[in-house]
Order: sequence, then structure tokens, then C-alpha cells
Amino acid sequence: MRRILKFTAAFGMAIWLLCPASTYAQRVLLHSDVAEDTIYGSFGPNRRFFNHIYLGYLPVVGASNPGSDIRYGSSSEFMLGLRNKLRLSEPVSIGLDLRFVRLSYVLAQTDHKLLPTPTVHHRESVALSQWQLEGFVRLNAGARGNVVGRYLDLSGWGGWVMGTAHRAEDRPSTGPRRVQTNERGLPYLRRWPYGVGARLGSGRYAAVARYRLSDTFTPAYQSAYPELPRWTVGLEIGWL
Amino acid sequence: MLYLIRRFQFVVCGLLLSLPGWAAGTQLPPPTHRYWVELRDKAGAAFNPATYFHPAAQARRQRQHLPAFDLTDAPVNAAYVAQVQAHSDTVLLVSRWFNAVACQATAAQLTALSKLPMVRRVTELPDRPLLPAAQPLPSKAVGKDKMTISAADRQLARQQTRTLGGEAFQRAALDGKGLRIAIFDVGFNGADQHPAFRELFAQKRVVASYDFVRHVPDVFHGGTHGLEVLSCLAGRLPDGTLLGLAPGAEYLLARTERMHREVYAEELDWLAAVEWADRNGADIINSSLGYTSRRYFPEEMNGRTSLVARAAELAARKGILVVNAAGNDGDNEDWRTVGTPADADSVLAVGGINPETGLHLDFSAYGPSADRRLKPNVAAFGTVLAASPGGYSRIDGTSFASPLVAGFAACAWQQQRNLTAMALFQQIQESASLYPYYDYAHGYGIPQAEVLLRHARQAAPPAQEVATVSFVAQDSVLAVFIRPEIARQVLTRQLPLYADSVGGTDEVPNRVAPLGKEEARPTPASEAPGEASAGAAVRPPALPAAGYFYWHVADANGVLRRYEVLEVSQRAILRIPRRTLQPGDVVRVFYQGITHSYPIQ
Repeated sequence: MRRILKFTAAFGMAIWLLCPASTYAQRVLLHSDVAEDTIYGSFGPNRRFFNHIYLGYLPVVGASNPGSDIRYGSSSEFMLGLRNKLRLSEPVSIGLDLRFVRLSYVLAQTDHKLLPTPTVHHRESVALSQWQLEGFVRLNAGARGNVVGRYLDLSGWGGWVMGTAHRAEDRPSTGPRRVQTNERGLPYLRRWPYGVGARLGSGRYAAVARYRLSDTFTPAYQSAYPELPRWTVGLEIGWL
Repeated sequence: MLYLIRRFQFVVCGLLLSLPGWAAGTQLPPPTHRYWVELRDKAGAAFNPATYFHPAAQARRQRQHLPAFDLTDAPVNAAYVAQVQAHSDTVLLVSRWFNAVACQATAAQLTALSKLPMVRRVTELPDRPLLPAAQPLPSKAVGKDKMTISAADRQLARQQTRTLGGEAFQRAALDGKGLRIAIFDVGFNGADQHPAFRELFAQKRVVASYDFVRHVPDVFHGGTHGLEVLSCLAGRLPDGTLLGLAPGAEYLLARTERMHREVYAEELDWLAAVEWADRNGADIINSSLGYTSRRYFPEEMNGRTSLVARAAELAARKGILVVNAAGNDGDNEDWRTVGTPADADSVLAVGGINPETGLHLDFSAYGPSADRRLKPNVAAFGTVLAASPGGYSRIDGTSFASPLVAGFAACAWQQQRNLTAMALFQQIQESASLYPYYDYAHGYGIPQAEVLLRHARQAAPPAQEVATVSFVAQDSVLAVFIRPEIARQVLTRQLPLYADSVGGTDEVPNRVAPLGKEEARPTPASEAPGEASAGAAVRPPALPAAGYFYWHVADANGVLRRYEVLEVSQRAILRIPRRTLQPGDVVRVFYQGITHSYPIQ
């Protein structure tokens, strides 16, 4: 019994000596560890590292070729991505984007249409779902605090098309009111697109222009299908 | 979601359709940026201080044994300004103090400016951020009749001056008379019509005003923040209760801030206003404004980086006491520290105190400055009753602690008119409730009129201070005990040596908007007229945190490593592991008005 008491006393003493002050029965109304509370972070819009999610909508622009005419306004790229930025100096940063892009060409139903068949439908589109990686160099204007500020990004991107789809909608005069046909895994579309781009931004908003250097169609179909427009121009909004 | 995407598509298409027209329009002028052009000298500039300075400004210099003028007061050489004008797009500001011109220029003009023989240096000013500043909290429904003041609000109004010792100043007939206080703010909407300032305007004690944003003398527009701040200096309730301590002072009102935008021009306006205030004889400047993350990093809050901090330092050298709010970013994890110009060494930075607990308010910015100086310097109530459009409202923010201390400074200076600005600065710190104890939340605490007046009379200090605590150095801990005789004296119940902690809650206001953009609180139903608790009405006016136990560990340079405030529930109040202490450190505790130090060997 004496042994147990000795052990308990020793244990109690050890706890007494080792516990920090805050564990005692005092209510701490205010506490600050100055070194911890004044650590300057390395993450932020104008810190060493920053990342954020963004959303973009870029209509397809530029002339289309006869046979693969598109409907402007409806043909567009929609993107959702994660932007990672590494600040090298006040005016210069580099970054890497990872994004999901859905590029949709809504085909104009003209008499000389070729893509993917000459058949005219009520509405027809070709869509590519892609994962893209984009490296960029950012040039910032003006001194600023921990904010994104105004910038120009010059970028190069490449991607992998994970899914393709051809969708046609018909409105027959008899029978059903609407007939939809979906075709996936289109053999005539390239799987590895790449291109360049530029962004002019301020804070969370950016005007974006992208140019696709790769062809849309695989070599086997390039002679059959005229190339689709290569430019997309639109807006991005960052979730800062 | 689909609706949003469609809407987004619509906006983007609209923008794209507008592009060709934009591109086909007239050729755009080359882009301009803002530059700060520092000039080499003031050669040939004639200056007569007697005609330039208001007599009050001349008297201030004489009282403080400052020269009638120095080179920084002389005008910028007009020929130099003309040359800068010729080589730039627009001249934004001409600063005598910095012998510099702020201008807007193209890249080509910048090259030409840099080559001018009288130009010492050209630096780019931060660009105008396009995003709006953080918006104020949405205004909730405020009491229908703001002229009807609840008992609790009336009590708060009395407490906000009483905790500073307002009654002692009144007994000594000190109300800031003969002092000139400049207020830099967002705008003073309705101040000239508000009943809180009836006497102030009737006696024509607003001696000058200028809107540095619009370049007009009228400042009664732009926002109500200035009205609220002014009331914490010179406002009165309808029954005559003072909301601030300097109803007898003269005022210079300057509008330097835009309500919904954060543009760098505001700092230029602040500089222009400080030169204007100096010329017009301001003794004290109250600036309830601060500039933070849109332009700076916390590590730049060293009092030397920003233009306004350097301007505030110059103002102090010319004998002006600059009082500035510490800032409302204490609960902002990305900032947390004081803004600028509160970071300047000679600026009296004022933190916010919770009237319920007497402790630091969560939103009140913490120190130290980036170069580890004490900030905030002192503190006052950060929740106050202030004049607001149509009546009076409760409002939160260090913006209102600052004018309370500015009023305190005015009374102190009225009594000791020959003090220099920095001697007054020191006396205010020494009069504060925690002095010589300090921490980075409260500074030296709340300035106390009784202490300051006693110091001024060189009266004997109060009865000999008795030790309230004992330090006991043990093998592995430094223990601090409250002495039994003190515990018996100050507490109605005897403190046990050890006790379990006791829970409790404090009313903490919601997130407060940045400086200059605070808004009045809605009136809680429980504070409707006639419903105030009896307890609130009869609460004694003693400092609420008088019974708390404050302690810190400072290094050999006085820079704090750690600080805490404890609620006292037992005599064995503190045990500090010795491994956390270093030779040269000092452990200081403040309890029952007495500071004890224990140097670590």
C-alpha cells in the first residue's frame, strides 16, 4: 500500500512539474505566443505560393472553313481549373494550371456541310472533354500588397481528350417530336491537343485568348474534314 | 446553375461583340502610371513663415521650442514643378515636406522625367487596384428612433469617457480649449446639422475644412464615419452627457478617404491633409484610418515603408501629436497586425477595449510592429455610443477608440501647454492603467486622467505600493502566487490555493469592417428604452479588468515572447516551465494595479 502511495505521489509530482501553466485551473482570457502569431505566411495572392480555383468561358472565334461551319456564340470552351502560382519576384511569377475543359463546336447546318456527314439536322454538335495542363509566365504591373493585382500571362498548354461526342437532334415532321442521336468515341478527333494563350487580368477577373496549334482531326481524316476554328476568346473568374 | 451559365455566356458574348467597335475606335493614348518624383533641392524658394503659417501653427512651434520653420516647410521650386508638369500627364500632388511631386506619366515621359537635372529619384507609386475595398457589413435595421437612448447606451456613453478619467478632467475644467484637432476621415455627412454638435458649430469651432478628394472646402458628404469619429471627441447627448473629452477644442476637418474604394491616391490625400493641418495650426491629428493588405504586407509595417507613416513621423517632428487607430484586423488571419500609419514610431496607436470585460476586442489589431516595437501604444473603448445620422448608435471599431484618446491628449495638453508632442506621448503612455506593464493587445492599457494630472502636479505618488504576488523559483518552474493578504483585501471571497476553472461568456461583436468603414450596430431588443438591466445601470465605474492577472515574458530588449491575461480564481496563479525562459528574459506580472518584474539569470 505504501508502495502504491509512493508511486501515486511521484506520478502526481511529475504531472505537476511537467504540465504547462495553461493546464492549471486558471481561465485564460487572452493568450499570445508572439513568435507564432507573427509568422509571415508564404501562401497568398502575392506571396511565394498561391493557388485557387477558377472558372472560364471562352466562345470560339475566328473564321471557319466551308464544310465545317460552326454557330458562333454557341460554340465555346467551358473550363474549371486549379491555378498554382509561384512568385519569383514582384513583377514575375510562373505557374501551372490543371483544368477540365469541355470544348463544344455547334455545327451550322448548311447545304455544303461535310462534318461529320453531309446530313442536315435540326441541331448538331461535336464536343471534346479534356484534361489540360498549362504552364504560364506572369508579368505583374505595379507594386502592391498581398493582392493579385494587374497582370499579363503568357502560356503554353497541352491536354488529353478523355471523351468525345457527336450529338444530333432532329425534329421529324411525323412521329416523335424530337429525335436525339449520340455517338461517342469519335475516331476522327485527335486525342492530344496543344496550343498557346495569353491572359490579361486584374484581381479575380481575366480576359483570355487561346490558340490551338494542334489539328482537330487525325491525319486519316484531315483531307475529308476542313479544320475547325483555332481561336477561343473569353473571360475567367477566379475563386480567390 | 444552367441559368448562371447562360447568363455568363450572355455577358461574355456581349463583351466580345463590343471588342471590334472598341478596336476600331480612335487610337488609345499610351497607358500612364503614377510616379513619385523626388527633387534635389529647393534652391531659390522664398519662404515667409509669418505669412504661410496660421498664428496657431507659429505658436505651436514656439511653445515646443521648435524653429519657426525648416527646409521641409519651404515651398517646392515652382520652376521645378513646371518642368515636371511639362514632362508628365497630370500633377497629382506637390509635397513641401518631401520636396516631391506625385504625377501621372507615360513610359516615355518617365524616361524624360528621370533625365531632368533637378530630379533626384523617380519611383513608381502602387497602382490603383481595380477591385473595390472590403465592403462594410450590411446595415441591419437600426432602432426606429435613434434619438431615444436606452439606459444601457447612456451608461456606455458615460463609461467611454469615465474609464479615461473624464470626470477628473471636468473637475479640472479641462475640455481641450485652446487646442486645435485635425480629423482625417471618410466624410462628415450631416455633422453640421446634428444636435450632438450644436454647440460646436454655434461657437464656430470648426475653424477649417477641406475635401482633398474633390478639392472643395465642403466635407459634409462622402460618408458618416467622420461624424461618428467627431462625436467621440466633441459630441454630446441631448442631456449634455459628453461622448468625447474635447468639446472645447477647435477642429479642422479633412476628407482624405473614399468610402467604397481603396486607391493609392488616398495616401497622397493624407499627406496633403497633414501639410494642411500643420499650416493651419493643428496640435493633434486624429486619423481613424489605416492602410493594409491591398498595398502592403504585414512585414512592411515598420513605420518606414509607407508614405503616410513617414509623413506622420514628420508631423511629430513639427510638434503635432498624431493619434491613429490601431486597425480592425485583429481577427483577420491574413493580417492581424496594425496598419499604417499606426505602425510609425511617433504615432500614438490606439487599440480597442471591450466595455464588458475591459479586455482587448478580438477585432482590434495586435502588435508588435514589424520591427518589434510596441503597438498599439494605449487602448480605449472600441465599442462606443456615437452620434450617427438621425441620432445616436452603438458602433464598434478602433476608429472610435482613437478619438477618445485624442480627446484625452487634448485635455492633457491644455493643462501642460508647454509639453512637446513626444513628451505628451510619453506622459499618456505612463498614465495608462497597466503601465509599466504592456502587451501587444492592450499596449500600456487605458490612459488615466487622475494619474496624468497627479504627474503634472508632481504630487506624491499614492501610498506605498505593496507586493501583490510572490515569485517562487523552483527546479523546473517559476511559480507565481498571489499573496494571501492581497487575496483577502481585494476579494469578497477568500481565494483557495487551487480551484477548478469557471466558465463564462463575453459578448464579442461580429467581424468589424476595416478602418473608416465601420457601421453602427443594430439596437438589440433587450436594450430598448426602459428595459436595461438594473445591473447595467448600477455597475460601478471602476475599470472592468482591474481584477485580472496579466503576465508576459520579455527578452533583454523588451520584446515580448509571450503574454496572457488570466482570470483569478486561485492564489497559485501561474507556473512557467523554466525551459521556456532564457537568461536575460524578464517575467512581468500586473495584478491589482502593481507591476512586478522577475529577471531570469
